[in-house]
Order: sequence, then structure tokens, then C-alpha cells
Amino acid sequence: MAGRGKLIAVIGDEDTCTGFLLGGIGELNKNRKPNFLVVEKDTSITEIEETFKSFLARNDIGIILINQFIAEMIRHAIDAHMQSIPAVLEIPSKEHPYDASKDSILRRAKGMFSADDFR
Amino acid sequence: MGVPEPEESFLSLDAKLLRFMDQLELLEEKRATLNSLIEQGWFSLSKARYSMGNKHVSALQYASEIEPLVCVHARTLDNGEAEFCIERVTQSKESGKDERSVEDIGPQEEGVRRRNKPKKDIARSEKAPEVTPVKKNDQNPQQDPLKWFGILVPQSLKQAQLSFKQVIELSAEIAALQIAILNTRQELKNSMKDKHALQKKTSTAQVDKVAD
Repeated sequence: MAGRGKLIAVIGDEDTCTGFLLGGIGELNKNRKPNFLVVEKDTSITEIEETFKSFLARNDIGIILINQFIAEMIRHAIDAHMQSIPAVLEIPSKEHPYDASKDSILRRAKGMFSADDFR
Repeated sequence: MGVPEPEESFLSLDAKLLRFMDQLELLEEKRATLNSLIEQGWFSLSKARYSMGNKHVSALQYASEIEPLVCVHARTLDNGEAEFCIERVTQSKESGKDERSVEDIGPQEEGVRRRNKPKKDIARSEKAPEVTPVKKNDQNPQQDPLKWFGILVPQSLKQAQLSFKQVIELSAEIAALQIAILNTRQELKNSMKDKHALQKKTSTAQVDKVAD
């Protein structure tokens, strides 16, 4: 695993996951744990959050791709992640176009021009 | 002197701010490309679903054994930035393995078989080392995810795969850029603090001079 590099994980709706898995990022490890989560209507927020945290804890994951509308559900967990690796990337979904004003990274960058920074 | 001249620090602050803006602009460009590529991918997926049937392109078709064909080499640089390099496992490796296994079998098999053997020969052949069967399952399970959806898949599914492959490449670039932006922001913040400290010091010195 160490010599092979890290994986790209994805948390998203069915089409997003299918697309990225077609691209070749999918993995089922020895413990049959996948590096993706297909979020359906009945998927609970707790399950999403737990999966996201488990991806953060795994040292074989380098990038986590997550649909922005799902990221909104677990925003606190995403905002709490400050390390550079794994990098978290918010992507659009079929029904929810990408909104830069909601993106955690851009909101942090925008914070550059807040009153606190000029003190 | 340890403390930089005010003009010098202002210039470096300006340079950092310009770099920050450039990075944000680049991120916006890359984001737009990523979004359009993903949209293209979804459109192709929908087209494939239309021609193959609604239930033929879904999570139910995922293989039971999935091996990654893409990996990312992540490395943190000295300046705190990170570098992500996408590496794709080539399919030719798999085909190379297949060829070798065929070659291995070849010499062990006899060229002509005699159906009606004398009894002596049968006894001898029983003692002869058995040809180990080729275990298909032990071979590299890596296969093109396209095959999960069938042998003859429509062109639109191949196009979807191509779009998502490009998205994966681009997402690594965006991830690196995001980290670079956060680093530049931190640098700017520190420089801003230094600037304010310097300004305060200069103004105090001027007040002292006037008082004298």
C-alpha cells in the first residue's frame, strides 16, 4: 500500500459514485471496506458523518471528494478538519450546482478580509 | 537591522496579496472546468442509461471485488504546501501477466495425445507430475470498471468514463491549489500583523521625536 500511493475516496449520490468508480478510484480492501459511500434518500446523517470520519482516519486516503449538498449536512465535521492530507474537495451534484460561497476552503480564504485580520 | 524597512514589508505584502488573488483566479478557472467535465460525465451516464435501460447503470452493477486503477501520491512540501500526483495503473500489466501464464502452460502439455494407451503407459502417466491448472481467480482482479456494466457497452458510457478520468486528474490539481491558497492566506495574515507592529513602532518613534 505504501509504495502504491494513496486512494481517492468519494461520498456522493449514485451517479457521482458510479462516475468516479468508472474512472477507476474504487477499492474494497481486505476487510471489505469500500472507499466510497453511495448516499441515498434513506442514508442517515450519522452514517455519512461516521464514514467521513473513518475516511479521515484512514492513512491510505489522500483526497476525499464529497458532493456539496452532502457536505452541507456535515459542515461542522468538514470545518473541523484542518490537515492538508487528506484534502477535502467539494463537488457539485446533479440537482445541486456548486456554490463557491458554501465551500469550506473558500470561506476560510474569504475570512482573510474579515475585521479580525486587519487588527 | 533585524526589522525590515516599512517599504520593503509593504512590497512583500503586496506581492503576497497578488499571489493570493492569482491563486484564487486559477482555482475559479479549474473549478469551472471541473464542473463542466462532471456535468458532461453525468450527461453521458444518462445517455448510457437511456440506451441500456434504467437499472443497468446503477450501484447494483458494481463488482464484488474492486481494485483501484488510480492512486494519488501525496507529499507535503517544506513550505507547508502539498503536492498530489495522480498515477494510473496501466491495463497492459494485466495482459502481460496473461501472456506469461499461457507460456508457462505450453511446454508442460504434450503435443499429441494417444487415446488408446497400453496399460503400462497409463500407469506411467498416473505417476507423471500433474499439470497445475491455471487459477483464473488468482490473477489480477483489476479490470476495466466498464465491464461491470456489460461486455458491449455503449459509446456514451465510455465517454462518461473518459470525462470522470479527467475529473480525477483535475481534482488532484484543485486539492493542491486549495492547500496553497490556505498557506498564502496564513502568510498574508502574518505579514499583516508584522506590518501593523511596524507601523505602531514607527508612529511611537515619531511621537517621541516630536516630544523631544
